[in-house]
Amino acid sequence: MNPTTYIGTGFSAHKNPFEAAKEASSRAKRQIRAKTPNLAIVFSTTHFSQHSLLEGVYFVFGDNTNVIGCSGYGVIDNSGVHKYGVVVMAIYSTKIKSGFGCIKEINADNTRWAGEKFARASLKNLGSTTREIALSFCDGLLEKNSELLSGVKDVLGRSFPIIGCSSADSLLFSKTYQYFNKEVLNKSIVGTILSGEGSFGYGLKHGWQPLGRPRRVTYSEGNIIKRIEENPAIEIYKDYFKKNTEEIKDLLNQISILYPLGIYLSEEEEYLLRNVIKIDNDGGLICQGDVPQGSQIRIMMGTKESALEAAKLAAQEAKYKFNDTAILGAIIFESVSRIKLFGYRINEEVETVKNILGETVPFIGVCTFGEQAPLKSLEYRGESHFHNETIAVLTIGERHGLA
Amino acid sequence: MAWLNSLSLQQFSFEDILYVVGPSIIVIVLILNIISLLKDRRINKLRRSLEELQKTYEALDNQAKLIIKTDLELHKTQSELDKKISSLYTLQKISHTLSTTLDENEIFQKISEEHITELGFDKALVFLVGPTQTTYSPGTTAIKLRIGYNEKDIEAAFSQEYIKDIFEQAVKKGATLSSIDTKINPKHLNAILKSSKIQSFICAPITTKGAIVGILFVASESSYSPITTGDKEIVSILATQIGQSLENAQLFEETWRSHQELENKVTQRTRELSAALEEVKAVTKRKSEFVSAVSHELRTPLTSIKGYASLLSTGKLGELPQPVKERLEKINKHTDSLSQLINNMLDISRIESGRVEMKIEDIDLRKLLETVFDLLAPQFKEKQINFSQEVAKDISTLPADINQLQRIFINLLSNSLKFTPPDGKIAVRAKKTDGAVQIDVEDTGVGIAEKNLDKIFGEFYREDNEINQSVKGTGLGLSLVKYIVEAHKGKIWLTSKLNKGTTFSFTLPISKA
Repeated sequence: MNPTTYIGTGFSAHKNPFEAAKEASSRAKRQIRAKTPNLAIVFSTTHFSQHSLLEGVYFVFGDNTNVIGCSGYGVIDNSGVHKYGVVVMAIYSTKIKSGFGCIKEINADNTRWAGEKFARASLKNLGSTTREIALSFCDGLLEKNSELLSGVKDVLGRSFPIIGCSSADSLLFSKTYQYFNKEVLNKSIVGTILSGEGSFGYGLKHGWQPLGRPRRVTYSEGNIIKRIEENPAIEIYKDYFKKNTEEIKDLLNQISILYPLGIYLSEEEEYLLRNVIKIDNDGGLICQGDVPQGSQIRIMMGTKESALEAAKLAAQEAKYKFNDTAILGAIIFESVSRIKLFGYRINEEVETVKNILGETVPFIGVCTFGEQAPLKSLEYRGESHFHNETIAVLTIGERHGLA
Repeated sequence: MAWLNSLSLQQFSFEDILYVVGPSIIVIVLILNIISLLKDRRINKLRRSLEELQKTYEALDNQAKLIIKTDLELHKTQSELDKKISSLYTLQKISHTLSTTLDENEIFQKISEEHITELGFDKALVFLVGPTQTTYSPGTTAIKLRIGYNEKDIEAAFSQEYIKDIFEQAVKKGATLSSIDTKINPKHLNAILKSSKIQSFICAPITTKGAIVGILFVASESSYSPITTGDKEIVSILATQIGQSLENAQLFEETWRSHQELENKVTQRTRELSAALEEVKAVTKRKSEFVSAVSHELRTPLTSIKGYASLLSTGKLGELPQPVKERLEKINKHTDSLSQLINNMLDISRIESGRVEMKIEDIDLRKLLETVFDLLAPQFKEKQINFSQEVAKDISTLPADINQLQRIFINLLSNSLKFTPPDGKIAVRAKKTDGAVQIDVEDTGVGIAEKNLDKIFGEFYREDNEINQSVKGTGLGLSLVKYIVEAHKGKIWLTSKLNKGTTFSFTLPISKA
């Protein structure tokens, strides 16, 4: 039986953004038998003029293609991680339907509302088919990523799988981009709900291991851990690193990536990781995602080997659903922290994923400031969470027996 | 039940009750005490366990702190090593790219933003310096490479005195300077980083032929990518690589220029030679035309002279005295010589001007040689010269113009006869060589001086020797032979040794084309 879904991917590191996007899109289009894709997913580094980039994509695909995507610290394709370039995935399908959503101008006060509105807009555009999975890309510099995700979950349901990422830049933390058709956006969430007769698998792991004794968060406000065991939260880092507050502030970039905080989740194989991005005046740790009050946390440590093993497990989980059917394409969301951890060995992780999914499966990916994916244990009923330092793999195919 | 009802508390005194219940209470109290003791022991045990557990936790925590400390150091070393390896890999890529060009401007175009990003930097700038300009100067500095900067950025970032001072130091000292150098005044450094909106920088001089010709400046905007001493080394290597490429380009430019000059000279000379050759051709043509015209004009009266002389010799116009007959005989002989000379000149000019078409046909060489020998047999006989011919078995026929080939043999054999003393030998040999038949005419004659060998085919050339002084000749025979051989697309040459003999060799192609 022939599939009626075709997925093609392309990469380019051309100096000229228009030409780069044109080159990557043309490569992707050739692989889908030169058909006009229903959906194009674009990931790019921030070196390019982003508007010219989208012009290049539309030059190849034409106006009938819906484009979503975001910027990242790096982009990924079958050949590895590239710190400069653009990747494009073109999906043509008569079986997979999509409903698109885009909410702009998100701020600290309207984050949850924006999540809800994004979900409603996507559902409205989708129509009345069975929804399968949501794919979302939000600004990695938003303060309340977890709350945004909560807003989406409020509408789609706690157990509805949401997978995606927070966009990134070249570690300047100044401006990241989201793409919605011909628009280049900031402080936005863009994405789609996929439905119909597609089949989607996903896997998420990090490989960081807990270290030292567990501690209780005695006071937290959303993404800010105020007190741990009644002490100012910064004490945990001061204690472990034997440094004063100023020194911790200077080293925070490095510490936060290598030694994030892990929230214990019963029945889950791994801790839920949180990067600390800032330290407030009271010694509170400002994280990228929420940390519930009363949760048990530990300092976490990653090694290349355990992170590589995690990538293997994530890919195996994402492949699990496709025992009898072919994976037509895959998307990888890779935390920037992992790039820092792996160093020049980063391509080993991509190779690991490639070996599991299959040499011929085309995939693209982006290096992110945060990942969104569901937890697997019964206790969490597949609820999607905001993660740090993970690799999330989304696999796309068609349902068995269809075509 | 009745028994129970009949029993009343009032019937028992306190002592009775105490007597009955007391022991039970004591037992209960004892039991309670025992339980309490046991519980205390258990609590104590639990407390001890908890304390032990806490101690273990603390120990674990302390171990964790130790692990983190070691891991942090290890990670620092590892990440520096990682960065170095990936930078070296990128350097190798850049080096390969640069080696593909020898154009000075192209060198800078080949260094891309992708390369700079892979090296871990966000911005890069290359500008040229010279003896009079040792730092950046707005408006006059030649910017060769600009990554992550627009023109306005450059002016804003590099017009500041502190950064200009860094450039100047790098040029004067020929040293690589960076934001992690302790020698830079911290206040100045902060001012540089702030005004340039960067977190770190490295500035390396570019050197060609021992002189500093430019500055490579790279910078990082992110505090997540701090620079290290390893980065300084890498940037320094990149600057050297750029310098080397520039040197190669300059060397190539110089070589190319001198090659171009040489080529121009060769072209000029060729043009001059071509013009001279054309002139020679024109002169030769004019000469041929002149010779042809003159020969024609001479031949008519000469025929008349020879006719009248012959008529007079016959005595039909009256008996002539002996002295007159002798004179007439001389007139006849000289007229023949003159006629021969004119014929040869005419033939040469005809062949030279391409007016004689070779009528190529297959010739039986052996037969032709016999005919020629028959013609010259009297002379051979007269001088008692032995003639031999040796034609290789694989030569049956030879494509040539039979009349012209006959003339070749007559001329060469006559020449040999003339210069070979009596009782000598003349041999003709023919053999096949590469696509041709080579014919050698060898004699045991007086030979030709080595210095005159290359003059022998010249028109009117006659070697200065005794035979030539006594025997007259036109000096055109061998020239004519050469023209005929060349008209057959063949070659002619000779070897000779004084007093030993001479061999004339010529080739004629086997193919008719």
